[in-house]
Amino acid sequence: MIAPRPYALLAEITYRCPLHCPYCSNPTQTRSDQELTTNEWTRVIREAAALGVLQIGFSGGEPLARRDLPDLVRAAREATLYTNLITSGIGLDDDRVRALRDAGLDSVQLSFQSNNADLADEIAGARAHQSKLDAAAKIRAAGIPLSLNFVIHRRNIDRLAEMIAMAESLQAERVELANVQFYGWAFLNRAALLPTREQVVRAREIATAAKARLAGKIDIFYVLPDYYETRPKPCLNGWGQRYLTVNPIGDVLPCPTASSAIPDLRFENVRARELDWIWRESESFNRFRGTEWMPEPCQSCPQREIDFGGCRCQAALLTGNAANTDPVCELSPNRVSVDAVLRELNSLGYHAPTWAYRVNPKSLPTLEHVK
Amino acid sequence: MQTPTIDGSAQPRLAHGVRLQTDSKTGNRVLLFPEGVLELNETAQEIVSRCDGRTVADIVQALAEEYDADPKILGADVRDTLADLQQRKLIELT
Repeated sequence: MIAPRPYALLAEITYRCPLHCPYCSNPTQTRSDQELTTNEWTRVIREAAALGVLQIGFSGGEPLARRDLPDLVRAAREATLYTNLITSGIGLDDDRVRALRDAGLDSVQLSFQSNNADLADEIAGARAHQSKLDAAAKIRAAGIPLSLNFVIHRRNIDRLAEMIAMAESLQAERVELANVQFYGWAFLNRAALLPTREQVVRAREIATAAKARLAGKIDIFYVLPDYYETRPKPCLNGWGQRYLTVNPIGDVLPCPTASSAIPDLRFENVRARELDWIWRESESFNRFRGTEWMPEPCQSCPQREIDFGGCRCQAALLTGNAANTDPVCELSPNRVSVDAVLRELNSLGYHAPTWAYRVNPKSLPTLEHVK
Repeated sequence: MQTPTIDGSAQPRLAHGVRLQTDSKTGNRVLLFPEGVLELNETAQEIVSRCDGRTVADIVQALAEEYDADPKILGADVRDTLADLQQRKLIELT
């Protein structure tokens, strides 16, 4: 299998975060190993650029929790990467905005939980909304392009129009309204987060209308809730095709949720191997690369190079086997498992449970302690 | 989608947050923007590299001279390319 060249690196530089969102994409079990150092990240960034990567997203956790973020942005710019910061905005004071701008930061994606402060703070499990509004103003004042990211779920989906209006008033250039995808903490909290069919239909109408109304002014990306679709999403544009993720301790992942969702996948670490080898040769990047691994109905499906069989993590979580067709697909023999979830959630008298907040890795017992 | 008419006196520039650079893997010019990469074809490379404050008319003239082409046919190509890039919010016209 000849490896293509990757286009984008997601650099998860820390899992520390002041928020506790119940759909957090951090792993539900975190090892307490040490984070990569500034020098180690600088080497990873150079190796990624040499592989062909053109874009880097600094993410987490909350990437601002690392004081060396401006140094990492500078290293990425020196490697001619386009630099995106994906942040909650907590900790973004005037000095840090200036330092990031001076380091050459190209764009900021700022997350919001809602347009309503009380609901937003309830979802985040922290008093955060006002700080986020302040952060948006500072980013605008520094002249850095601003995207707003909303994770959409049962509790905030009815406020889509108000959230879009907020993006307009904050003068964002881009808005991502992404229905929650069920991995990690979101998978644990699915019964509380999955919207009803009625909510989804209405939200789609609102998003479509807003997209048309704001064309040329704000780019609106509406990410569909895939459980309600009949065909799977083209996850990652194919496994090991365009994207790679490096997590805080240096594990290299074909997909950011793979470490939680696919337990039998073993990941290589940048402390032991060069990124080039990991991308081209490692078992984890080659296992689902291309189409040879596909079972039926994918193997003979005309859509197989359009949706790539959907999402490996979803297949693992819902069917117990990551090599199965994504069960969202109407052709999958496992579609019944998705339908059963939807039927329960949309049944008369369904009462959504309360969600569990993400807990800090620090407060989790580490493997050593358990032993 | 209807193509907006682009005036000869309009000055196309890269939009806020968009970078033009050479892809070291292919040698081609690419536009980089939040969450996206656009590989430019040869025509688009020639046009975008001249979006530096010059007017559309000046760009057409410069390209017509360089390639010894009919400015009328070339002008239509340049306007189509600019309209497409403007739709994608990658260039702005002032």
